[in-house]
Amino acid sequence: MIFPDEMRNILYGNYFGYVCTSDRHDQPHLTPVFFVYDEHSRKIFFITNDRSKKVRNISENPNVSITIDIRDPVNPFNNEGVMAQGKARITEKAPIYFMSEETLQLYYDIYMEFKSKYQQVIENKPLGENDVIVQINIEKMVYWRGPHFKSVRIDAEGKII
Amino acid sequence: MHESAKKEMKWIYEEIVGRIPPFSMLSYQYSILLQLFFLLVIGLILGFIFNLGTISLLYGSLAILVAVSWSLLILQLGPTLRKFRAPLSKDENELLEQYKGILFHRNHYEAIPGLAIFITFMLYLFYYGPNLLESWLGKNPHILLLLFVSLLIWDICYRMGLGLWTSVLALWRSLRLKKLSEKRTELEHTPYTELRSLRRLDINNAFFGIISLLLIPLLQTDRLLVTIIFTFMVFVTLISAVSAYIVSKVPWLPPDIYNLVNESSFAYIGVSFKGVTHVTPVVYVFDGQEIFFNTSKESKKLKIMQKNNKVAFLIDKRDMSNIYENKAVMFTGVVKIYGLRDVPLQLKQMLEVRKLFIKKYPEYTRKYSTSELPRAWQLTPIIARILVEVKPAKIIYWRGAKQISVPV
Repeated sequence: MIFPDEMRNILYGNYFGYVCTSDRHDQPHLTPVFFVYDEHSRKIFFITNDRSKKVRNISENPNVSITIDIRDPVNPFNNEGVMAQGKARITEKAPIYFMSEETLQLYYDIYMEFKSKYQQVIENKPLGENDVIVQINIEKMVYWRGPHFKSVRIDAEGKII
Repeated sequence: MHESAKKEMKWIYEEIVGRIPPFSMLSYQYSILLQLFFLLVIGLILGFIFNLGTISLLYGSLAILVAVSWSLLILQLGPTLRKFRAPLSKDENELLEQYKGILFHRNHYEAIPGLAIFITFMLYLFYYGPNLLESWLGKNPHILLLLFVSLLIWDICYRMGLGLWTSVLALWRSLRLKKLSEKRTELEHTPYTELRSLRRLDINNAFFGIISLLLIPLLQTDRLLVTIIFTFMVFVTLISAVSAYIVSKVPWLPPDIYNLVNESSFAYIGVSFKGVTHVTPVVYVFDGQEIFFNTSKESKKLKIMQKNNKVAFLIDKRDMSNIYENKAVMFTGVVKIYGLRDVPLQLKQMLEVRKLFIKKYPEYTRKYSTSELPRAWQLTPIIARILVEVKPAKIIYWRGAKQISVPV
C-alpha cells in the first residue's frame, strides 16, 4: 500500500523539510533539513550531525514531525504541503568494520539517494565523521492544499487507513 | 571594564552602607528597610524628648519615606548594570562602558548635584527661609533636632541629585545607543534582555520623579520650593520616560536577522505536547520589535499551544542554487495567545498588527475574507483568526552551513 498521490508528489518533489523535535521538557526545536523519502519502507531519512540539538532531543524523545511544503506568497490557495509525524531512530554510529551489513547497506543506499537528489549541492562530498542517518517511521500524515485537509494513519499492521 | 573596576560600581552611599554592620550583612532591600526603621526610631525618640507635635513627626516620617523609596529605586542601577552582558557591537559596548564609567566614577561626580542642592537649600533655609524650620520644629529647636533634620535634608538632597544625574545620563545613553544601532552590520546588536533592563531602569527613574510630589506637604508654605519640586518632578519623569521610549525603539535583533525576519514571507511553527510534536507553516508579521502570526481557532497547533506555550519558530530564506546563500533563524521561547480579554488594553496593538497583515499579504487577506471558505479560515479578527505573539528566549541563526547562537 502506498500513500495517496498528492502526498507522494510533495514528498518527492521538494528539497527542504522542517523537522520538529522536542526535549523532555516539551520545548520544541525546529531545523530545516535535506531529506529523502523511501517508498518501500515508507520512511523519511535525513542526515545530521550527531552533536546537534535534534539528535539530543531524539534520544530524549523519539517523537518527531516533519513538514514539507510548497509556499505561494501571493495566493494561499496554492499552498500545499504535508506534515508527517512518527518515531525517529538514529542509526548507530560505529567504525565501519563494526557496522552490521544491514547498516552499511542502508548508509550506502541513503547516501546514493541523497547524492542523486541533491547532486548540485553536495557534489561528491562524503558523509562526515560525525554524520548520522536519522530515519522517521511515519505513523501519521496530514496533507493540505489551501483550506482543504486530508489525513492518513498507518495502523499496527502497516496498513494505511 | 576590568574585574577590579567592576566591583567598584558603587556610589558613595552604597559603599558606606555596605561597610557598616548590620547593613553590610543584609541584602540591599532589607538593609534599606532597616535604615528606614532606624531613622524612624531615632526621629520618634527625638520627637518625644523634645516634645514635638504630631505634625512634625508626620513630616519627618514622610521625608524618611521619600528618601527610602528613592534609595530602593536608584540602588537597582548598580546591581542591574553589574550583571549587564557586553553588547555584540564594539561601538555599543564602548558606549555602555563609558556610561557606566561616568555613572559610577571613581571621583564620585554623582554626589556633586546633590551637594549643590544641599548647600543651596541649607543657605536658603537658614538665611532667607521664611518660617519653614519653625513650621517643622517649632521655635528655637534643640541642636540635636537641627542635626537630625540636616541629616534628613542631606539624604533627600543627595538622592535628588542622583535622580537628576541618572536621568540625564540615561537620556544621553539612549540617544547615542539608538544612533549607534543604526550603523550596525551583520550580527552586531545589544541583547534584548539588556535593552529591557535599561528600559526598566528608566521607568524606575520616572517613578523616582513622581515620588518627589510627596515632599510638597512639607514645603507647602513656600511657593518657590513647591514650584521647584514640581519642576524637578516634571523634568526627571519626562526625561526618563523619553529615554525609556528611545530604548524601546532600539532594534533587539542584529541587522542580518532583522532583515531576514523583515523580508521573508513564511515561517514554521513547531509545538509539542506530551512529547508529540507538530510543525506547520504560518504567515507572520514583524513590527520591528515583535513577531506575530495568525492561526485558525480550530487549528491543532492552537489547541497544543493552549496546553503548552513553548514553541520553536523558524524563518528562512531558501535557495537551491546556492546553499551558502541559505539563511534561517529559529526562535525558541513561548507564545502569548491574544483573546477577547486582551481587547480593552491591547486593541490598538491588535489593530496595528492587523494592518501589517493586510499590507504584507493583501491577497491573503482578500481571499481569507470570502465567505466560501470554512468559517474557521475566514479572517474575522479575534473570533475566528487568533493572533499569537512569539516571545523569544533563545535565537539560533544559520548562514550557509554555519550555525551561530545569538544572545537574546
